[in-house]
Amino acid sequence: MQSRKKNSAHFFINAATVAAELSEVLSEAKNISLEAMNAKALVARAGDNVRTFKPITDFMVELANDTIWLVKEINREALVLSRTSLNELHSSDAKERFSSAQKKAAAAVHVETLDPIAKEAYNAHHQQAVQLRRHMRKLFELLDEIESRMLAANVVTATSRLEAATAADSYQASLEGIVIKLEKAANRIKHIATKCRHSLER
Amino acid sequence: MKVVKLHEGRSHQWLVFGRDDERPSKIIDTNQYMIKTTNHAIMLDPGGIELFSAMLAAVVHHVPINQITHLFASHQDPDIISSLGLWDKTLPHAELHAPWLWEGFLRHFGCNSIRYNPLPDEGKSIRLDDIELQFIPAHYMHSSGNFSVYDPQAKILMSGDIGAALLPDGAPLFVEDFDAHVDKMRLFHQRWMPSNRAKKDWIRRVRQLDIEYMAPQHGAIFKGRDVQRFLDWLDELEVGTGIPR
Repeated sequence: MQSRKKNSAHFFINAATVAAELSEVLSEAKNISLEAMNAKALVARAGDNVRTFKPITDFMVELANDTIWLVKEINREALVLSRTSLNELHSSDAKERFSSAQKKAAAAVHVETLDPIAKEAYNAHHQQAVQLRRHMRKLFELLDEIESRMLAANVVTATSRLEAATAADSYQASLEGIVIKLEKAANRIKHIATKCRHSLER
Repeated sequence: MKVVKLHEGRSHQWLVFGRDDERPSKIIDTNQYMIKTTNHAIMLDPGGIELFSAMLAAVVHHVPINQITHLFASHQDPDIISSLGLWDKTLPHAELHAPWLWEGFLRHFGCNSIRYNPLPDEGKSIRLDDIELQFIPAHYMHSSGNFSVYDPQAKILMSGDIGAALLPDGAPLFVEDFDAHVDKMRLFHQRWMPSNRAKKDWIRRVRQLDIEYMAPQHGAIFKGRDVQRFLDWLDELEVGTGIPR
């Protein structure tokens, strides 16, 4: 029981830590959004010279918006998960204590009066455990989603690099700069999402 | 958990629960009390969360659980009532009598179903079937909102932390040698009790009562003449020694 308690305690701390780590993802996503605005301005100025870059800037805007939304969702879900795991820990503790009382009172005259309470504690814990699994699944889905967005961003950066290389010389450096920043932000977000997943899986 | 019958009358019983062999070694030993009447039961200072299972198991040897309709907490300390969240699940229809001062604090232990009956500073009485229980003000003895419980029929005063002693495991439940016992109470009272004025006020109130047993929440129970000897001893004792003179 002690080791289970310890694991559950780590779990709600880890879930709260995930929420804290995500603030960095949010700031990276905001950087992508800013770079997307720069890219849009550049594309508008360059006109036909970098026409093929337009869908890439649209993708960057979409990516930034989706990431910001996802981070907010993950953050909310991580806090719910932290609270749920704490409730699960409390309900598990209550269940154990009622069960222990039942065992100790096995020979007591009124031991049967403990049955409904112990059963209720068991059911309450079962419900909390179901809730915990549901919220965990949801959080992992959201982390999957953010990771797959970042993989897509990597593909797009590879394409963008080719497009930047074929652009007119005067825009090449600026476009490459934008691509590098997008790539860096995507990698950083992916790294944090993977780290969050690992801390939840521990 | 040992259980001793402190009083058996026509209309009610007093039981003391304590000296739990399975108590984790680093937590202070406590005495819990239960008064059982024809249809009701009240638990006085039902104890900390670590003791809950043992207490619950001990209690159902004497009453069906739904007969416990009242709880009392002399003050807010964890060894008194940190089990509240679990009693709240066990006795959702019960009533908790505790100092008004601590309501917002005690609810942190979990009090969603149990009804909190805030005791006013001047104290009050309740009836359980044929008996009357008086909640006697004991503020600053040691907690700033604090009560003792007096049962005029059984002549028992449950004094909370007043009269407490720090005893080794396996010590007798009743004071056997008052003079030897004093050494085990001195530090507790000097350091935990903050106010000589509060001490005098409580002694004045209690001297007016006819007491056969004085039952503290830690240590041993005083009976007969030892009750008066304790009051005299406490009267002379300088308390609030945490601050150097």
